[in-house]
Amino acid sequence: MKFNISAWRAWAPGLSTQEDWLGWLADPQQLSSQDAADVSFLPAMQRRRLSPLARMAFHVAWPLAEQSPKQPVVFCSRHGETLRNLNLLKQMAEQEILSPTHFSLSVHNAIIGLWSIFRQDESEMTAIAATQDGLEHAVIEAQLLLSSGADSVLLIIAEEQQPELYLPWIKDVPFAYALALQLTRGDAWSLSLSLSKEPSILKKQAWPHALSLLPLLLKQATQVTHSVDTRCWQWQVTL
Amino acid sequence: MSDLHLDLKNLIIDALGLEDISVDDIDNDAPLFGEGLGLDSVDALELGLAVQKHFSIKIDADSKDVRQHFASINALANFVASKQ
Repeated sequence: MKFNISAWRAWAPGLSTQEDWLGWLADPQQLSSQDAADVSFLPAMQRRRLSPLARMAFHVAWPLAEQSPKQPVVFCSRHGETLRNLNLLKQMAEQEILSPTHFSLSVHNAIIGLWSIFRQDESEMTAIAATQDGLEHAVIEAQLLLSSGADSVLLIIAEEQQPELYLPWIKDVPFAYALALQLTRGDAWSLSLSLSKEPSILKKQAWPHALSLLPLLLKQATQVTHSVDTRCWQWQVTL
Repeated sequence: MSDLHLDLKNLIIDALGLEDISVDDIDNDAPLFGEGLGLDSVDALELGLAVQKHFSIKIDADSKDVRQHFASINALANFVASKQ
């Protein structure tokens, strides 16, 4: 499939601007800071209910949306509101009454729900959770929306710093990150899928996969591949 | 301001995440919901829970008077005092 990426923003603790990312790419390091993404552009009454995950998503996507009229959103996160959910489970185990706010915002589509309300945008919005190629699945979803008439689609992929308790089982989130891409029709970018006979072995990742698009977005590379199970994805961009 | 009034204001600020509001911004007589402080229905549930936990009291959600008890800080203070 072919498309254009008309704008993008990425965030990880301490990194937000294109200059930050150019610096990081020159010497990629693990990021361990617990910094939260800045959402001071939102009124306090809206900001107060945002989880770290929601803050990241709003931080990267909001400025892109300010440039465009209403548009559909595809939100992708493999782990979702893990922190909120773990806290709720702990409270249940202690037989405490659950917080209505945390309960109502613990579902996977809570963030796009808030997005729709805050932006007064009734466009189609989808929340997906896929395995380690969630980003590619989100692009398929966005492509379908473009094909059915949307002029642009905002794709957001984000994961928060995972709780200590789950870390032994989580290989794809070395640190918190968020990436927003604004997709439009075009043919500068292509994403293709081929299938291999042997499944690839899942390794613990040094960087979140979504950030491997950064060299392409910053015009330092023209292709990247990503293998998950028997699926081999190839990203390519013509400069 | 009585200790109970102050306690309630701090509880509202903490439980509802009102990060830019201080106890002095909350008027004892002003409506908590809609106008005034501007809280919404999710806040109503959250505050009901916080009050029950903090003061170890029980609130009957079906009672018609609940709305009155949560109308303002003064109303809530009277209600909590009567339950203790």
